Amino acid sequence: MLERELIVSNRLGLHARATARLVQALAPFQCNATLSAKGREVNAKSIMGVMLLAAGTGTPVVLRVDGKDEAAAMDAVVALFERRFDEDA
Amino acid sequence: MRWALTAHGASRGAALGRARLRLPHALHVDEQRIEDVEGEVSRLHAAIDSVREEMHTLRERLHGALVQEVGEFLDLHALLLDDPELLHGLDQLIRNDHYSADYALRLQRDRIAGVFGTMDDAYLRSRIDDIDQVIGRIHAALHSCDAELQGASGDILVAHDIAPAELAQLQSQGVLAVVTAAGSALSHSAILARSLHLPLIVGAADALLKINNGDVLVVDGGTGLIVREPRASDLREHRARLKEEARERKQLNRLRRVPSRTRDGADIKLWANAESLQDVAEAHALGSAGIGLYRTEFLFLQRNELPDEDEQFRAYRDVVLSMTGRPVTIRTLDLGADKADHTGLTLRDEPNPALGLRGIRLSLAHEALFVTQLRAIVRASGYGQVRILLPMISNREEVLTARDLLKRTTRDLRSEGYEIADFIALGAMIEVPAAAIALPGFITAVDFISIGTNDLMQYLLAADRNNEALGELYTPLHPAMLRLLHDVIRTAHRRDKPVAVCGEMAGDAALVPLLLALGLEELSLHPTTLLEVRRAIRDCDFAQLRAAVTKLLRCPDRAGIERWLGTVAVG
Repeated sequence: MLERELIVSNRLGLHARATARLVQALAPFQCNATLSAKGREVNAKSIMGVMLLAAGTGTPVVLRVDGKDEAAAMDAVVALFERRFDEDA
Repeated sequence: MRWALTAHGASRGAALGRARLRLPHALHVDEQRIEDVEGEVSRLHAAIDSVREEMHTLRERLHGALVQEVGEFLDLHALLLDDPELLHGLDQLIRNDHYSADYALRLQRDRIAGVFGTMDDAYLRSRIDDIDQVIGRIHAALHSCDAELQGASGDILVAHDIAPAELAQLQSQGVLAVVTAAGSALSHSAILARSLHLPLIVGAADALLKINNGDVLVVDGGTGLIVREPRASDLREHRARLKEEARERKQLNRLRRVPSRTRDGADIKLWANAESLQDVAEAHALGSAGIGLYRTEFLFLQRNELPDEDEQFRAYRDVVLSMTGRPVTIRTLDLGADKADHTGLTLRDEPNPALGLRGIRLSLAHEALFVTQLRAIVRASGYGQVRILLPMISNREEVLTARDLLKRTTRDLRSEGYEIADFIALGAMIEVPAAAIALPGFITAVDFISIGTNDLMQYLLAADRNNEALGELYTPLHPAMLRLLHDVIRTAHRRDKPVAVCGEMAGDAALVPLLLALGLEELSLHPTTLLEVRRAIRDCDFAQLRAAVTKLLRCPDRAGIERWLGTVAVG
């Protein structure tokens, strides 16, 4: 299992569009993925789950991935957070 | 038993058919338990598969403006449909508690709504509407698997509300008309229904209570009349309406070849708004003066890379050629952050895209993108008359910067050996109130103007046209709107600059007298309403209307303006 803390740094936070990007980024991977923030843990592959976290900009979230392709999945999500969900030109 | 109601007609046309009810998404399903657990799970998944298929088909059918309006919510819905939490929860409710798929949907929906309801963020809280729509569609699919509900040909759909995406699909299934309990005549759905010629009645609050599946209905999308279980006299009236519609179509067809001239001999220029070559062909056949608004967004949508100069050039050239010498007004890219997904453009998400980087602002911020488009347009000018229209202009500087770029582009293309027109008119869309007010300061910098009344209304009245809670706040019949239009038209005419209106307002035959009274001599509208508007023009007396403008501008409210319209209406 891999675990890493990430900061939501895009301007709108984990709103519908950024959440959609996150879920789409994780979709190709087999591993389980969870995201936790503010004492709540949700399935990171569920758009409903991630929206329910209501993680605004600046919120630290913890991503846990567990499975055969966990490393690649972690890389994909970290890259997405670093690109601020492609919101910046 | 016969029952009748008059609601709001949103799209004209008469229909006679059987009612097909779609219940609101808040599911009223009673607790049901089942024995065959695996059968129920596969019934649910078959329904989900058919919804997925349905969304996929729908996406393929979308083109042009619909891609922007509908595409983003379809993406969200597709993800919700595959949501592991949603699906797992449903399976568990069936497997562990032996609930029916219907009841599991309802329980799961209520559970999710409960959690979403506690969220602080109003935007995220309102996503429950999307979840409701997805669950509602799964529920509907569960039942269309039942044989007796299959096939909707000849049906009149009665629903709480209808999404634009659903309308196109319903029509292809053979649905004759739609009646909704909610909705407004100004919504996107209503606009789409009119362009599809699908009769639509909105605001029929009691319809879902009074009408049952299979009831025979007569509806009239013009007057908003709905009759359940019609009597002989109702059927007679319906037949009369059909006859009237046929007669009107014939009469309109005769108007294809006549000038758009008022009774006292004033020629009004009727331009067409177009997006596809089909629109362009229709505009040509209807005898429009030219294309008054050619939207270019569709070239950029639903793809992950930008169209290059040659691709754009070919598209613009084909439009110019199709119009055989009549002018074609090409509007430069009018996108904002709300519509830029899948365009190859990466834009920052904006909390308020209507007030953000869009239209000319976006083009000037991405100069290479803008110059590529200008080059393509200018090259097309070698094949016929081309005009360029800049969207979302809010000040003089934007016009001057764009004009400089156009000058440079023209010079470059000439030196590269391209054959291009000697003169390409450059115009500004007037849709930001600031531009309308400051127009006297920059009217000399443009060759023509086009008033985009949809956005102008939204910004002037601080009313979003898609927000149904606002009801009739979004209306052209506001004194401020009329005064502003009057000022803009007068400013343009004083400087001998052509001015047209290109919003929905221009396509509403009932408003023709009002626009002519304000001094307008050019209208740009979708080809579907061109003949009706031409007929209205031919019934007007331009000089009399011009004389009545003082009275119009003195009207203090909507009621006054409507009374004014009543007094000038012809026979």
